[in-house]
Amino acid sequence: MNKEHKDTKTKKFGMVIDLDLCTGCGACMVACMAENNVPFKEDESNKLDSITWMRVYKLTNGKSFPDTDICYIPRPCQHCGGIGDHGHSPCVSVCPATATDYDHETGIVSQIYTRCFGCRYCMAACPYHARYFNWWDPVWPGDMKESLSPNVSPRMRGVVEKCSFCFHRYQQAKDRAYANGRREIEENEYQTACTQACPAGAITFGDLNNPEHQVHKLVNPDPKHCGRPKNPKAFRLLERLQTNPKVYYISSREWVRRAGDNYIKNESKQIA
Amino acid sequence: MKIDRRSFLSLGVGAVAGLTLSPLPWKMMDDSSIWTQMWPWTPVPEDGEVSYVNSTCTLCPGGCGILVRKVNERAVKIEGLKGHPVNDGGICILGLSGLQLLYGPTRVKTPLKRVGKRGEGRWEKISWDKAISEVAEKLKNLRKENKPHTVGCISGSANGTLPKLIERFLTVYGSPNFMKIPSIQDSYELTLHLTQGVQALAGVDIENSDFVLSFGSGIIDGWGSPVRMFKANSALKKSGGRLVQIEPRLSNTAAKADRWIPINPGTEAALALGLAHVIVKKSLYHKDFIENYASGFYDKTGDNGFKRFVLDECGLDKISKITGVDKTVMETLAKNFAKAKKPIAISGRGQGKSPGSLNEFMAVHALNALVGNINKKGGISAVPEPDFINWPELEMDAIAAKGMQKERLDGAGSNKFPDTGSLLNRFAQSINSGETGKKYPMEVLFVAGANPCYTMPDTKTTKKAFGKIPFVVSFSPYMDETAQNADLILPNHTCLERYEDMPAPVGLTKPVICLSKPVVSPLFDTKQTGDVIIALAKALSGNISKAFVWDSYKTCLEKTLGSKWDVLVEDGIWVDNDFTAPAWENAFDTPSAKFEFYALKTDDINPVKIEGDDNSYPLVLMPYDSVRLANGFIGDPPFVVKTVSDTVLKGKDSFVEINPETAKSCGLSQGNYAVLSTPKGTAMVKINLFEGIMPGIIALPRGLGHTAYDKYLANKGLNVNDLIGPVEDSVSGLDTAWGIRAKLSKA
Amino acid sequence: MSTKENAKDENTENGSADQDNKGRGDSSSGFIILFFIVGLVASLVVGWIVFPKLLYSRKKQPIDFNHVIHVEAVDEGCESCHFFREDGTFSGIPKLEQCTDCHEEAQGEDPNEIKFVEEYVAKEKEVPWLIYSRQPDCVFFSHVAHVKMAKMDCATCHGPVGESEHSKVYEKNRVTGYSRDIWGKNISGFKKNTYDRMKMDDCAQCHEKETGDKGSCFQCHK
Repeated sequence: MNKEHKDTKTKKFGMVIDLDLCTGCGACMVACMAENNVPFKEDESNKLDSITWMRVYKLTNGKSFPDTDICYIPRPCQHCGGIGDHGHSPCVSVCPATATDYDHETGIVSQIYTRCFGCRYCMAACPYHARYFNWWDPVWPGDMKESLSPNVSPRMRGVVEKCSFCFHRYQQAKDRAYANGRREIEENEYQTACTQACPAGAITFGDLNNPEHQVHKLVNPDPKHCGRPKNPKAFRLLERLQTNPKVYYISSREWVRRAGDNYIKNESKQIA
Repeated sequence: MKIDRRSFLSLGVGAVAGLTLSPLPWKMMDDSSIWTQMWPWTPVPEDGEVSYVNSTCTLCPGGCGILVRKVNERAVKIEGLKGHPVNDGGICILGLSGLQLLYGPTRVKTPLKRVGKRGEGRWEKISWDKAISEVAEKLKNLRKENKPHTVGCISGSANGTLPKLIERFLTVYGSPNFMKIPSIQDSYELTLHLTQGVQALAGVDIENSDFVLSFGSGIIDGWGSPVRMFKANSALKKSGGRLVQIEPRLSNTAAKADRWIPINPGTEAALALGLAHVIVKKSLYHKDFIENYASGFYDKTGDNGFKRFVLDECGLDKISKITGVDKTVMETLAKNFAKAKKPIAISGRGQGKSPGSLNEFMAVHALNALVGNINKKGGISAVPEPDFINWPELEMDAIAAKGMQKERLDGAGSNKFPDTGSLLNRFAQSINSGETGKKYPMEVLFVAGANPCYTMPDTKTTKKAFGKIPFVVSFSPYMDETAQNADLILPNHTCLERYEDMPAPVGLTKPVICLSKPVVSPLFDTKQTGDVIIALAKALSGNISKAFVWDSYKTCLEKTLGSKWDVLVEDGIWVDNDFTAPAWENAFDTPSAKFEFYALKTDDINPVKIEGDDNSYPLVLMPYDSVRLANGFIGDPPFVVKTVSDTVLKGKDSFVEINPETAKSCGLSQGNYAVLSTPKGTAMVKINLFEGIMPGIIALPRGLGHTAYDKYLANKGLNVNDLIGPVEDSVSGLDTAWGIRAKLSKA
Repeated sequence: MSTKENAKDENTENGSADQDNKGRGDSSSGFIILFFIVGLVASLVVGWIVFPKLLYSRKKQPIDFNHVIHVEAVDEGCESCHFFREDGTFSGIPKLEQCTDCHEEAQGEDPNEIKFVEEYVAKEKEVPWLIYSRQPDCVFFSHVAHVKMAKMDCATCHGPVGESEHSKVYEKNRVTGYSRDIWGKNISGFKKNTYDRMKMDDCAQCHEKETGDKGSCFQCHK
């Protein structure tokens, strides 16, 4: 019975975002907010305290008119696995409360709000600024509480929150599968809210361990090099930190790929 | 024996020991930690049965299918509907945050009657019966005075059952003053009418094109049906099609395009004719189409043909000087465009909120004719509006007939602008100016599905005009700027609470009707505007009442849609799949039965004029559209405002985009405050240096600077409409303004 | 222990204790012990008997529900009323609509049924049932994984509810606001049955036993 309880295969859920297709429309950001009961305040223009699990950044190539170019880059939690996928994510390693944890079954970095006591070590540790602190208790004006989803716990003041790869959707997909007597879920049964909403079809989500899944086909992660993409157009953010993120980006523009890592000015070659 | 201090200490020690051995401290510690983890004021969303309701999002005219997830009776999430012909599962940020409009604090919950001064925000609740009888009384009296034509309506759209019901009401009541919010649709319709002789909408088949030449159309900035365009853009990328974007600012579309060609703003028509010059000169045009299905290409008696004009008047040196586009760039571009298999040229700046210059639309459409992609796959086609509104003929009484003979206040359909149906941009001006003396005042104005006090260029003038109308009735479900300035608000249900048909989403290549339907039962004491109109008609009795044979809006809708009703309720969309745009032999309903190139005049290649003189205003201010900012009737819900960058809005300050070079010459640097003035007004802005904008031009986004709605939207940034004004097109009368001259000085 | 010995002890302990204090010490040490015992007993009484009574407020269900009668009347046991929806979610306590299927009108003369029909069915008002096993909002629990996949019996966690003829009193923890069934029937935290408590440790214990590890945080938390 013991074995049967486990999912038959260990998953490694990851995301591939095609920056050539991304239009910077922000649908992923709002889909995420609506899906995950993300709070909002009267003034959200101070981006340091504006909670956006998924945030779309704007990059520029720094050239002057008319050679200037811009590119949008959506940034969810990167769900770092650390070297060898042992779960030594920057944030998990520093959490004194075990409020954030690496799930070896799915590769997803969890955040349990009721466990978190708000020390914000994880925020300092995260090189991607993917974590946000609730400085205030959330307020839902009018009847907006009615639109809260029961699948995600609303947060309280004093805790850190971040993207969960819509883990509740994974739970729901499994429940549906179980109800039909299946143990495994199909690729399309578990998709994050941002993936589903993206009008440009720029986001692909699936199991990086499964060579049949689109995510694997798109980037072709190299197991010998900590999952670094073999696709030359694909890259990960701050690859040289060896955080081993599960979010991959694709861009046909060289300057965008370069902007994905913090290169030293005039450094010529890409360092792996 | 004495009881002393030590005894009591002992009692305490015993008590402590006892408590330690009891569960009390341990349980309390556990329980209080649980309590601190789950504050009672942190909401716990109720769980329950999940269900999905499909509908159509009517927050913009895009016509996307939506799937609303409900938990018991609560709507908790809006998602895109998979397999829907418009958006196939995709959805935009406004649609995604639709629930914030449903449940948010901006709703008008009951009919409200103004008690304070206009715009003061003091209201009293009033019952529906009383509200309707008050309006009916006013209307009755005006008819008694033989002034039915002094009643008007501004509607968000002219298509669909509700706008047609309002128009029908006005007609049988005796007023020609039914106006709608303008958009590029007006210019496209007019262009198709003048060149092809048809009454149709422009269908743009970008998905199947292999070369899209966009004259500033923000394909991924919210132009057309936004989600469909995002998808089309992706399809184009995947199929290897090319997108060339021509505009002075590096918009998202320009950034994603294969090629961005900056151009002096307002000279798009000249560039189109310059490209035509190359195509004609090199004989790259579609011979079959030009020889057999086009007229006006060659000279006719007394008229110079299109060919002669572009060859003689549109030399590349001249055009290059006007547009600022390099000669070789134009040559390559024209060649690539003409040689593509399925090229398409489109116009309408940004999201296409302003109709634009007819001349420009005609010039761009001439390019489509030159490459013969009209009514073809991957091209542009004339799509008739779905013809489903067939109501019994109206019987007008003498008062109504007389009223209907009056000229419209906005001058549409007059001798001056015979081909244009509605000219809202002229309305405010006409009410305010001396023309009023010549015509007549407006006594009662209905506003439905529109927020002209915010969206119309030159807000000050619009508000002034509103001030001159004694009785303004708003049907808005939200407390928007127009509702705020009204005398009576008769709130409609929101689009998640009501039935509403939306025919012909912009740019689709087949006749389509979409239907939104109630996803939740109405939360407040609101009423579908259609029902209010019917109730008003009944209250007015006589012919007016007779013209409304339906007992409710829903029955009217159901009967009007007839056999399509069931399909629409089931799928939310009806598509005339049998429709194919007619072949060239039957496509053109012009006198020559061919596509008609229009006769060009020398000044047609001059830039489209804007307001202000170069000396006092050395810069040019252009409004730009961002898909992150709703700028129409619907104000941004909190989620959308949250996505706005801090280089667009910070606190209450708007940023103006400016080229670093220009900023330097004005002595300004990043983050500085500056005074921005235009002939229409002055405002304080902050500086955002942006390399992607042409020197000499500054840009502000549309959609900020609301004064109404809730604290999440109001008083943030600047409404660009405060600073610009309309410029009238000499042929169509439509608003051609794409900017205004401006000045920036250090604050 | 004699007074003498006690005094001696004290002497030894204190070394150079003042002789004058001897007599006082003898008598007061009796009080010290007495007071200690009084304090100890009193606080034990408070901790073990008064505190649990104070900690929980006792509420009666709006309707006294007889599970036995219902289990007899239906075909599919618990799942007849507490069923799984198509999407795999668990319906929990039935909604009024479901009850109305059988109880449109009172079928017998039970005052509880009559009350139910008159006060709730007739007025189309949901019964405000008190849920013994409601978990905090941060908990995700999949019934289908346990019941359908692991083939667990409802009673393992919920106890023999199906055998109850009356609804038991709902005890609400005044501090946390949660039911006593969740946070432990036994105030000292001892468990006799698997269904005596539904805290995180109880879940983890079973998971560890059955699957080999406690599982990750997100497995049960949201």
